[in-house]
This record gives sequence, C-alpha cells and structure tokens, in this order.
Amino acid sequence: MSCPHTPEIIADHCDADIPPEVLKRHRVHLDTCKVCQQELISLRGVPGELLRWQSIPLPDWDRSGMVKSTSRRKTFASRSYQWPTIRQWLPLVASLLLAVAVVTQTRLSVGPQGWSVSFGVPSGGLSAEQLDEYLTAHANTLQTETRQWVEAALQTHGQITADSIYQWMTYIEQQRALDVQRMDAGFDQLMNRDFQTVDTVRQLASYVMYQEAP
Amino acid sequence: MDQSDNQLIAAALAGSLPAWDALVRRHERRVYNLGLRLLNNPDDAFDLVQDVFLGVYRNLYRFRGESQFSTWLFRIVHNKAVDLIRRRQSGPEIEDWFEEGTPEPANDLPGPLDSYLETEMNQRISQFMSRLPPAQRLIVELKVFQALTFEEIAPLQDIPVNTAKTRFYTALKNLKTMIEAQT
Repeated sequence: MSCPHTPEIIADHCDADIPPEVLKRHRVHLDTCKVCQQELISLRGVPGELLRWQSIPLPDWDRSGMVKSTSRRKTFASRSYQWPTIRQWLPLVASLLLAVAVVTQTRLSVGPQGWSVSFGVPSGGLSAEQLDEYLTAHANTLQTETRQWVEAALQTHGQITADSIYQWMTYIEQQRALDVQRMDAGFDQLMNRDFQTVDTVRQLASYVMYQEAP
Repeated sequence: MDQSDNQLIAAALAGSLPAWDALVRRHERRVYNLGLRLLNNPDDAFDLVQDVFLGVYRNLYRFRGESQFSTWLFRIVHNKAVDLIRRRQSGPEIEDWFEEGTPEPANDLPGPLDSYLETEMNQRISQFMSRLPPAQRLIVELKVFQALTFEEIAPLQDIPVNTAKTRFYTALKNLKTMIEAQT
C-alpha cells in the first residue's frame, strides 16, 4: 500500500524552510493517512543518523602550489584583459581560408612539374564563345553536306519524279536521324563536364529544337 | 580580524598568495568532507579538493560578488564531484549491494590519508552513502549535509523539484534499510 503524497511529506519534513501553509496541509493529510504516518516515523531518524558524521581536517598540502605553477604564465589580473591565444584563433582562421578557397574555386593539382594552384573556372572548361563557334561550324557543315547531297541527287536522277522525291525525302529523314544521334553524343560529352557547362547545354538544346522545327 | 571572502578574493586577484591561502583554508574542509562522503576514498576526496580549488583559481576573475562565494564555490564542487563519481563509480548500485550481502570495506589497506577511518561512525556513513546510486547520493549530500532547499537542489541537478523530493525519499528508504541491516 502506498500514498502519492509520501515523498513530498517526507522531503518537506527535512526542509527547515517549509512554508507554514504547506506544513498545515501536510498535518491535515497525516491525520488521516496511516501510510504517510508510518513512513514519517520510520524515516525521520535517518538524516540525524547521517549527521553524526564528524568533520575531518584535511592533510597538509601546498595550497599556493597551483598558483605558483600557473602564475608564471598568467596572473589573475592579466586574465581579464587577455587576448585570445593562437590556439583559440586557429579554427576561425582555418574556416576563413576554406571559405575563400571555395569562393575562388581554388584547385590544387600535382603535375610532372610539381604542385600548382589555380583559381576560378578551369581552363579545360567550355566557354560561351567556344560553344558559339562550335555551333556555327556545325551549322555550316550541315549546310555544306546538304548542298552536296542535293547536287549529287540531281545528277543521279536527272529529272524529278515521284520516285526520286520519295527517295530524296527518305534520305533527308536518315540525315536528320544521324544529326540527332550526333547531338545526343554532344549532350553526353557536355553533361560529363562540370556544373558550369549546364548553361551551355541548355543553349545547345534550344539550338537542336530550332533545327528540328519544321 | 578575519577578512571577508570578498576581501580575500580581491587581494588574491591582485596577486596576494597569503590571501589565496586563507581563502582555500576557509573552505577546503567542507569540500574535503563532502568528497569523503561522496567518494568513500580519501585519495579521491583529496583529488576533488585540488580539482575544485584549481577550478576556483582559474575562474576567480569571473566571480562578481553577486552571490555568496560559498554558493559560487558549491556549484564548482557539485560539478567536479559529479565528474569524479562518474569516473570512479566507487560503489555498486544499491540493488547489487542487497544481493551481495555484507558489504566489504572500501579500502582495506592503511595509508597516510586514512585518518577519516579513525571514526567508526564516519566509516559507516561513507559506506552507506557510497552504496546509494550516484543521483541519490548527491541529493542526500546536498539536502542533509549542505542544507540546501529542494528549490536550490533541483536546478543544480537539472531535475524538477518533485523529482528531487521523490529521489530523496527513495534514498532515505534505502539508507534506512542499510542502517537496519547493520544493527
């Protein structure tokens, strides 16, 4: 059998500063609760038993030893105005260096000529100008190939008939399929480059859509 | 004429070794006896004293005199004692003790710091305390020997007041059982 008030009553009984109203409430409860009465009677002597402890003096020791050993480096007064040590600054400096390295895209590479540090976009990347040149050259190549094919077809078939037009159209379709395959290969190559080429990929995609538009 | 704690602190901060020595002498005994009861080993109690006053020395410039020095000191004592108890775990848990039967003395070998063993009562009390679970041991120390209120104990242990009271009640019941088993 237990009472939920027992821990509080026993604890408060050991508290010299218990408020009178709490004490009164506990007394009213104790009048009717046999469990709390028995627990109070049983445990009230325990703190007194513990307080029979006899204070023991400390063995002699060098109380100023810690001051002497520490004050060679720092005094009480100087601690208040002390600048942070290099060890305290080190994490902040390291963080700043890392942040600068990330922002400037610093690259550390090892080659046959030793270590080298480079900043910014790597020289191997595809620039916007290079892409324009590439697209222009590709368009010129396509136009030249188409012109050559048309001339060859006219020489082969002489007159335009229904059959020759059909063959011509078939050939054009094949050429278009070939172009798309080339573009796919170009996409794959570009997608393997770093993130900055994504913009150029988008340009290339719009160019392909333009080429395939009727 | 005795100087106040604050006067001794001011002098110690100015570099006075005698002032620091006097400040330590004034409070070391309380810390040492707390260590004896909580750690049940004079060497560990002495380690606690040294740890505490080294911590006090290093942080003395932070003491602003807004509270009593003894209150500020006791926060350091409490934290260091908790650390030491965790590291040493000097006694088995109370449940284990009941299964083991008669407890063995904590330290059979005599030593130069065993003066606390001169009093049989102290030995019994420190053995009882050491067989309480650490959380209950600290509550009893804070309540019975340091006379803190439960409102002061609860934030020190980071627990609600009611939990502190329940823990204290359980500790008293365990101690009662131990006392009865020894008589």
